[in-house]
Amino acid sequence: MTRRQFIPLAGIAATAGYASLKLQKPPKVPDGPAGNSAVAIVRARSYSEDLVSHMLEGVRQCGLDVRGKRVLLKPNLVEFDSATVINTDASIIAAAVELFHRLGASEVKIGEGPGHRRDTLDLADDAGYRSTIPKFESLFTDLNRDDVAAVHGFAGEPEFYFAKTVLAADLIVSLAKMKTHHWAGATLSMKNFFGLVPGSIYGWPKNKLHYIGIPESVVELNRTFRNTFAIVDGVIGMEGNGPIQGTPKHSGVLVMGSDLVAVDATCCRIMGIDPEKVDYLRMAADLGHVHPGRIEQRGETVASVQSNFALIEEFQHLRLA
Amino acid sequence: MSSVGGVYLESRLKFLRQVQNPDGGWGYFPGKQSWFEPTTYAMLALHGTPGSGDSLERAWKLLRSWQTPDGSSRPNGQVEGGTWVTAQAITLACVRGVYDEQVRSSVNWLLRVVGAETSLAMRTAAFFHLLKTKADFSHQGWPWRDGNAAWIEPTVQALLALKKVAKKYPSSELDRRVREGEAQILSRKCSDGGWNCGNPNVLNYDLPSYPETTALALLGLQGRSREELADPLAVAVRYRAETRSSLARAWLVIALRCHSGDPEPAGRDENGSADIMLSALEALGHPEGNFGLLRTGAAG
Repeated sequence: MTRRQFIPLAGIAATAGYASLKLQKPPKVPDGPAGNSAVAIVRARSYSEDLVSHMLEGVRQCGLDVRGKRVLLKPNLVEFDSATVINTDASIIAAAVELFHRLGASEVKIGEGPGHRRDTLDLADDAGYRSTIPKFESLFTDLNRDDVAAVHGFAGEPEFYFAKTVLAADLIVSLAKMKTHHWAGATLSMKNFFGLVPGSIYGWPKNKLHYIGIPESVVELNRTFRNTFAIVDGVIGMEGNGPIQGTPKHSGVLVMGSDLVAVDATCCRIMGIDPEKVDYLRMAADLGHVHPGRIEQRGETVASVQSNFALIEEFQHLRLA
Repeated sequence: MSSVGGVYLESRLKFLRQVQNPDGGWGYFPGKQSWFEPTTYAMLALHGTPGSGDSLERAWKLLRSWQTPDGSSRPNGQVEGGTWVTAQAITLACVRGVYDEQVRSSVNWLLRVVGAETSLAMRTAAFFHLLKTKADFSHQGWPWRDGNAAWIEPTVQALLALKKVAKKYPSSELDRRVREGEAQILSRKCSDGGWNCGNPNVLNYDLPSYPETTALALLGLQGRSREELADPLAVAVRYRAETRSSLARAWLVIALRCHSGDPEPAGRDENGSADIMLSALEALGHPEGNFGLLRTGAAG
């Protein structure tokens, strides 16, 4: 067979394979670890409400103890566009700083390594972080350009590097934004950990993660960093063509928990997305709970706050039945 | 040394001299690990300035010690394996007039490395619209790391290096890779006339360009015709006036100067920031700065 004959045949075979994969009903998601997971849904209708109190309510419902711990807050800082809802809102981060100090953390830092834009400090400035978060500059580390140390065995790599600020934290708090995502379907607390990977080694974007596989990388990052908590900013999320070009979607909630799989599965249900169809959640079932029967919903119920996020055509198949 | 437009070259250079690490390199921020990238820009900014000889020599020795047996350079002394910074090793060697076996080995590594998206499998998938991105995968650019896809910034760095070293190590392969690299950049232009990291379209949605990568792309395309670059240069001038990113402003000023423009300097205040790479780029882009070290001619 000549190369000229091979290419179209290979393409047809790949197309057929791809189509059949999309039409197949995905296999049942495994049961997950022992026990149940608590996830708190707290209403927060706007960023001007008392967010510290809302977060405190959620943290207590989840039984988190941070006394004496070094806490790293990881927001989702993506793009210069303060007029939209791409980035985790500055008031959420300011509230979290106050919350964890109040709960007795020995140290609270903020760290982020954006995936595309290299000017992290001006990006934070543009997102209102400097003006909203007291002593921001002394708290913040650009994780793309921090000192690094190696971790062994990440995704089968002999060495994989992370910022020392990340490795030194006792607890990493994912302050994610509730958004749709044009690669992963949704971007929530688990995918937010892409920003822990240093661009100074893996580039902008962190293309190594794409080659490992986006869902695989999400799972591997969450397998590597297990001392975590999530506070998802769903006060105003993003629907449609997220994570950058979508449109604002008011959900009026904060979703919190120590089991990030369960937090993301809950967020998906709030967004009208079937978490069992989201690749990274299916693959993370040994790390946490996707099944609603294994998630102890605290605070509001999913049904009381559920409002479908618009999905682009590519992800219509994720819609919760 | 004079000041122009409220921007102070001397304050940036003084800052760079003060924050050089004991090992000879520069970190991204004072007191942090030395990295290849900020060391490169600090060395370029300080090149030829009075009293910098010893400090540049120490920096150069450090960077040379980071070369791996395959010819690539490590981005940091703690990191195993070479990356895109190998291109910066070549650029620095050219600036310093060093053309030896180590440099030859770096050039050979750079010529070996291609973006993984140009593989037959990926091009076939792209042909049948099986990928979410819509881009021309036929041109060979450079990745951040060997084995990954090519992106604008590492491709630009490779083009700067190869165009600079072309006269010393001429080859048809080098000329071909320069032409391919330029074609890759041109093929990834966004619909708004600038460049982002290298993905102009995902799922049939056009993505916007960024000011800093637009500037970098223009640096990589030095030597192309004015007509071909007229629209991107206009976009760069607009970005120079509008961007809220200090880094983007610094790169835009350098790029516009290398294309014979005379933009307002990048820095906004005398003291600058604690960001070493930014300070070095602001110094490079000053009217009396060393931006000319990033000038290249056309393809070989």
